[in-house]
Amino acid sequence: MSVDQQELQEYRARARAWLQANLTRGHAAERGHGSESDEDIAQEREIMAKICDAGYAGINVPKEYGGQGLTSAHLKVFNEEARDYNIPTGGVTLAIVMPTLLKHGSEAQKKRYVPKMLRGEERWVQLFSEPGAGSDLAGLQTRAEQQADGSWLLNGQKVWTTGAAHAEFGVCLARTDWDALKHEGISFFIVDLHAEGVTVRPIREINGGASFCEEFLDNVRLPADNLVGELGQGWAIANYLLSIERGGGGGDGPADSHMRGTRTKQLSPDLVAYARKRGVAKDSDIRQLIATAHINDYMYNVLVDRVSKGIGEGKMDPTSASYIKHGLGLLQPARAKIAMEVAGAGAIAWTAEQEAEAITSTQYLNCRVYSIAGGSMQIQRNIISERILGLPREPAFDRGIPFREVQKRAKSWTGKV
Amino acid sequence: MDLDLNTDQHMFRETSARFMQDQCPLTKVRALAEHATGVEPDYITQAAELGWFSLLVPEDLGGGTLGEHGLLDAVIVAEELGKAMQPGPFLPHNVVIHALAESGSAQQQADILPALMAGEQLASWALATPAGNWDLDNSSVTVSEAGDSYVLNGAKGFVQDAHLADWLLVTAPVAGGLGQFLVAAKTPGVRLEALTSFDLGRRFSHVHFADVAVPASALVGIAGAAADAVERQFQIALALQNAETLGLMEWLFTAMVDYSRERIAFGRPIGSFQALKHIMADQALVLETCRAGAAALARVVAEQGEDAGEVASMTKAFIGEQAVEMAQQSLQIHGGIGCTWEFDLHLFLRRASVNSALYGAPGWHRERLCRYHGL
Repeated sequence: MSVDQQELQEYRARARAWLQANLTRGHAAERGHGSESDEDIAQEREIMAKICDAGYAGINVPKEYGGQGLTSAHLKVFNEEARDYNIPTGGVTLAIVMPTLLKHGSEAQKKRYVPKMLRGEERWVQLFSEPGAGSDLAGLQTRAEQQADGSWLLNGQKVWTTGAAHAEFGVCLARTDWDALKHEGISFFIVDLHAEGVTVRPIREINGGASFCEEFLDNVRLPADNLVGELGQGWAIANYLLSIERGGGGGDGPADSHMRGTRTKQLSPDLVAYARKRGVAKDSDIRQLIATAHINDYMYNVLVDRVSKGIGEGKMDPTSASYIKHGLGLLQPARAKIAMEVAGAGAIAWTAEQEAEAITSTQYLNCRVYSIAGGSMQIQRNIISERILGLPREPAFDRGIPFREVQKRAKSWTGKV
Repeated sequence: MDLDLNTDQHMFRETSARFMQDQCPLTKVRALAEHATGVEPDYITQAAELGWFSLLVPEDLGGGTLGEHGLLDAVIVAEELGKAMQPGPFLPHNVVIHALAESGSAQQQADILPALMAGEQLASWALATPAGNWDLDNSSVTVSEAGDSYVLNGAKGFVQDAHLADWLLVTAPVAGGLGQFLVAAKTPGVRLEALTSFDLGRRFSHVHFADVAVPASALVGIAGAAADAVERQFQIALALQNAETLGLMEWLFTAMVDYSRERIAFGRPIGSFQALKHIMADQALVLETCRAGAAALARVVAEQGEDAGEVASMTKAFIGEQAVEMAQQSLQIHGGIGCTWEFDLHLFLRRASVNSALYGAPGWHRERLCRYHGL
């Protein structure tokens, strides 16, 4: 179905005019980082409502769910016009949770939740990881037990949830069958974060910030129709969500993230500034470090360009996206380490005016985020070696047996098969 | 390397690769390493017929390309040369051909260029000092003017396949700037000092100049005004070199992955063990990055982008270092067999090391990068 070019041109002109009259230009706000203040969130909600009421939210979402019912061509046009504006997306609400619900939710769920997602009235988060289930997400143990009246009783704990303190709802993975195989006994639920039994607490991070939260779920009652999809379909739905997150478009995937297109033509400006300030700009070892940082940055960017283009044009397997993720996971710690070295004593203590030093040390504390979160570097190495290079897998001890049995054996692990 | 080759370029790659396999498989590479010259004349003339030495020459001078830029075709050959560990002066020969096509006199283009393109005569580039300094304006050879001729004294180092060369392009300071001279190898006063090379398939010599008199007609371009031309030649050399090094890495990588699939220990292929798997995953990332880098370098040099000099040094520093590391990891995974003369790995490991230092080592290029940015 092709769209009338004339219609699209008119649409573009209208969108451009509206954006100009109603929003401020600026760099895209850092999305989903959870460190926004109450005021920041309130402002986001206001802007989202404004955009929605003007008819520019959910452009290709069907009308019966609160969208505009237009085509992806219209969406592309709007995104192009909106590129330079502060368009908030409610953290992961619009980019990740909404598409998942649109694909797997019931009619009733879509009608109840999507309109308020679009208007910024209800913000959503992902209740996935647990203290005991990070890399091995499918090993999760939050449990949902069906009650006589069809409702569910939810018990467990979730962790590393970005933005939960400001959200209304979460999509939650819970185990509903302990006798099923590990991946088959998981279901996908909608959880009201303000329901009784839900406690949300910010996690204090090593950099002093609190972008993430942990959630305690104590006998939380979920209505029967809070189940998304079929019972036991949770893992498949979660994988769909994760694939969107990894870069199916507009997510927090590394290919969309800050590293892309941030290659600075200038020679590592922060490092050069340190070197000059410290009077060591002629020292050979400092120069080698500065050059190394610049080169690594450049090489990472050509890698991302090649892999993104290769996948986009169907010349490379989509699994190659792991190169982007793994590359970033190796790049950032190396870069942060170089910065600390070049900053010299500025990395150990600084005055109130020394903002750069404070940033460098914070970045050092943050530098392993991408090598740990969203598939650690060890997981990436497994993915690359097994799924791309085709090397044989190692034996697994959590397959083919009921999950209940997996846990029992894991606790008394002797290494003997 | 490049994901965007056209049909002709794909065929060119296949034809070239097949030629190398047929005419000079690794068994032959090893045999030739014992032989005096290290490459057979027939190989050179047949390579010329395939077009290997016409790529950097415009059509009006008898050249021919398959796509928009001859250099993008030349790096295809370079990469295959690396994968097949071929002997021969492909890189320096083509650099001199480019220099003549670009800045040569009408006479040089009429009398010498065709023979070089046909592989009937060979040329090499004398750039570095015998101490291994690749500064483009180094003065290990001094030039004095004597009427309308020049006299060269001193020495150049690490000239590749100089023993095969009929012509040597000598880059040296003259007339307040840089100049380049196409010197006939048999000119009185030119003496080759053959070196023992770490790369078994490639010969290097220091070339000594004792009162070597060359006519003004030996100049390539204008005396004292060659700096830009030399920088461009250097970038072309680096584009070709990094493509070749990438080819070495492709062989080293495939060898280690294949070996790990076949080699059995403790009841399973060793590639199933995570420790080895993870090394290979990291090397796969490196390889993909080097593919991207080599392709990007070839393109920016071909298109004469304004940051070509910067990209050349960044890419050489990275690929030069990573190739050496990959050779080491490949050796490690092969275990004992990797340490035998009979196994082919060391051929590639040796060349990776040589390519790392030739045309400037990674550290030197990092320093060049700093200076490029005015630090």
